[in-house]
Amino acid sequence: MGKSKPSDVAIEGIPPVSEQEETKRIPERVLIGKVGLDGHDRGAKYVAHILRDAGYEVIYTGIRRTPKQIVETAIQEDVAVIGLSLLSGAHKRLLKQVMDLLKDRGAIDIVVVAGGSIPSSDIPVLKAMGIAEVFTPGVSSQSILEALASLLKARRQAA
Amino acid sequence: MTNDTKDLVEQVRGGTSQRVRAAARLMSLIENFPERIPEFLVGAADWPEARMVIGLTGPPGCGKSVLADRLITALRTRSPDSCIGVIAVDPSSPFTGGAFLGDRLRMMRHAGDPNVFIRSAATRGHIGGLVLGVKAFIRVLGLAGCRTVLIETVGVGQNETEIVNVADFVVVAIAPGNGDAIQLLKCGLMEVGDIFVVNKADCDGAAQLYAQLLAVLRLNANGQKTGMPETCLVSALQRRGIEKLVDLFEKRAAGSEQVWQARRRQTMVDEVKAAVLEEARQRLSRVLGTGPIATQDLSRILRGEVTVTGFVDELIQKMTGSREDKKNYGQAG
Ligand SMILES: Nc1nc2c(ncn2[C@@H]2O[C@H](COP(=O)(O)OP(=O)(O)OP(=O)(O)O)[C@@H](O)[C@H]2O)c(=O)[nH]1
Ligand SMILES: [Mg+2]
Repeated sequence: MGKSKPSDVAIEGIPPVSEQEETKRIPERVLIGKVGLDGHDRGAKYVAHILRDAGYEVIYTGIRRTPKQIVETAIQEDVAVIGLSLLSGAHKRLLKQVMDLLKDRGAIDIVVVAGGSIPSSDIPVLKAMGIAEVFTPGVSSQSILEALASLLKARRQAA
Repeated sequence: MTNDTKDLVEQVRGGTSQRVRAAARLMSLIENFPERIPEFLVGAADWPEARMVIGLTGPPGCGKSVLADRLITALRTRSPDSCIGVIAVDPSSPFTGGAFLGDRLRMMRHAGDPNVFIRSAATRGHIGGLVLGVKAFIRVLGLAGCRTVLIETVGVGQNETEIVNVADFVVVAIAPGNGDAIQLLKCGLMEVGDIFVVNKADCDGAAQLYAQLLAVLRLNANGQKTGMPETCLVSALQRRGIEKLVDLFEKRAAGSEQVWQARRRQTMVDEVKAAVLEEARQRLSRVLGTGPIATQDLSRILRGEVTVTGFVDELIQKMTGSREDKKNYGQAG
């Protein structure tokens, strides 16, 4: 964080400023938040910062949101991705609600990813529901960024 | 207006179930393709407009977002049927282009209220404390039925005073803990405020700051003969003083609708100018190119072979010579 300088020399894989200018991409917008009752937001905040440092515009919505609040916010903010952190164990029910609401609102083109303490046996269920990716604890920031980039590429191509 | 935008506009205007989604998409088009802003300003001639556009500015952390949250509640209670739009601007990182848009976090209680439309926006390099296209944003919110629009600027440091030409009136918020009133007001804030608010009245130093504020404003008013601006001491956190502040808004709004709308038309050209300059900047930087080739080219200036003005003349010549670089920059994918 804050390690890059405005310089023409590439630093740690960040292209020089002049090159960024040329390949100027429209920043993608991402909602990061938590649904459910648990109040541990370290994971969510960590991901928010990784994404910001990777050039995303992150709308951080904080803890204990309802699926409806998340979906309405995502629509008003016109985000490409909703990233939800869930630690409460109620992930299947809550994520199902989010997906149903997105369907109701005609917004299933928004990519939904989830992270947190989700048993691997639940992952196929969540994917069948339409959750694009599930990140379990310990996943590297690199993997998150790569997964997100390829999901977004597919989304742009579908548009 | 192109057909894709026209469809979206009709969806918003028609009040379909896709109204909010379509309005949000229009705002994305505006922020992603600034060269299309004038299209919106022209096309919006017959759109319904907000009655009142409130600017809210002040130093980082003075409590603008919490105050905005309280103002939304107060305005919603006073006119339960009326919609409120909020544009909350936070800075983009100049290094990565990313942004942490945190204003909305303070207003999350209103998520799910169908009469509140909040949009966070990152500055994306725009100077002035707002986003390029904010006036078109306001028009879209008006089209979506918002009668009041509240704009929170980035936390201001120096020269972030664009809000003056965007809002019908400007609320400047300051709070104890960031220096005395003179320090807080010297960065151009003094000139932009119509209403001055000292927030965090629950904190030590608030009463003192308020007294300083009054003294500074009185001094200024004597010099300028423009009369004293209104002032207010509030605690956003404890919800104190909010009603009085909203009373000040209503007093201003009474009978001002026509004057304000006329003024918005006059200042529209500012946004067109910004869009023109942004387009020019993008085109020139494309001709200049990047990497070693651009560096070599620019080195000619350092070696004294060409002046800056001469160099720019060359760029413009190159640009007009090769007009096949049409419109496909900046697009994702
Ligand atoms: N004690 C006290 N704290 C307040 C009050 N209003 C806001 N705060 C706190 O001040 C901090 C900053 O509040 P924000 O509303 O985010 O400030 P801001 O001006 O929007 O900040 P930026 O958008 O970053 O410029 C938060 O921790 C708030 O809880 C108040 O009236 N009293
Ligand atoms: Mg704020």
